[in-house]
Amino acid sequence: MKNRERKRYLVFEVISEREIDKRELLKEIWRSVYSLYGDVGASESKIWLIGYDKKKDGDTGIDVSEGMGILRCAAYKAEEVRAALACIHSVNGARVGIRVVGISGTIKGATRLF
Amino acid sequence: MPNFFDLNVHAYPETDVPVEDMLRVAKRYGYAGIAITNNDDISNGNNVSNSIFRGVEIRTNSVSELKRKIKLYYGKVSVLTVHGGKEEINGAALKDFRVDILAHPCGEKGEGELSHVMVRYAAENGVAIDFNLNAIIRSKRSDRARILRKMREIFKIVRKYKAMPVITSNAHSVYDLRAPREMIAMASLFRMQKEEAVHALSGIPKGILEKKWKKEREVEVI
Repeated sequence: MKNRERKRYLVFEVISEREIDKRELLKEIWRSVYSLYGDVGASESKIWLIGYDKKKDGDTGIDVSEGMGILRCAAYKAEEVRAALACIHSVNGARVGIRVVGISGTIKGATRLF
Repeated sequence: MPNFFDLNVHAYPETDVPVEDMLRVAKRYGYAGIAITNNDDISNGNNVSNSIFRGVEIRTNSVSELKRKIKLYYGKVSVLTVHGGKEEINGAALKDFRVDILAHPCGEKGEGELSHVMVRYAAENGVAIDFNLNAIIRSKRSDRARILRKMREIFKIVRKYKAMPVITSNAHSVYDLRAPREMIAMASLFRMQKEEAVHALSGIPKGILEKKWKKEREVEVI
């Protein structure tokens, strides 16, 4: 167990102008991480998008499209990844705002945050 | 958890987003309140409630016009903000105790300057210095590097003279708003410690709304 690096699972929520695609979102996350921390920082962050899906019925009460996802990263890079997520302002031309709902050390704990 | 406030939000009529939508998203993100600071406009005044504060952002290029506008809005709003950037505007705003916040002193592209002397005036007059995170979000590469460098330099001086930093989103739409934890994570990009960032999002904005640092001065004036 000790040899394996500790991870964090970030559960995040996206509000966007229109529905966004998982692959487009991942591309944008990478772009943001590269731009903020460079190639070395990005390689250390060990980002992996576990899943992303749109919410069927939004609950913000305003006319936006919503989605939720889980992103895995290295434990000690969690705050940096959070900043990189916050720096994303558009995906494929659609305006977005991302908020981290919760962080968990296990994927099981992360799914409980939904 | 402390009460977080975002004191620089633009909404209808300056943008097409209604104040209610902004508030709904802000509340969801965990803010206790937001201040609507449209440019030279306080017509959203009917909307004031426990969590929406009336504010204004004075935007001008000349010092004499700035003085005139401060006089016009002073006392009518909870948050009197000056749109900074140009050196003489920054200086004039920080020397005026009626101003609550100097918004984005390094400008939207990182072109502005803030000297040690000016920050000392800010600390004396209780004018908070705003760090506008939207500038980081919307810029990239060399622009972003310049903005971050400016913010880091200014924050160093602010810390040295114990002036008050505030963190705001300068949001023009619901997609520009960021939750407090995200704002804190972004503040670490210009080397702001977590505790300092929490204070700049909760304690200081609350003090501004209560005019905590203005009371002594007002007694003097009377």
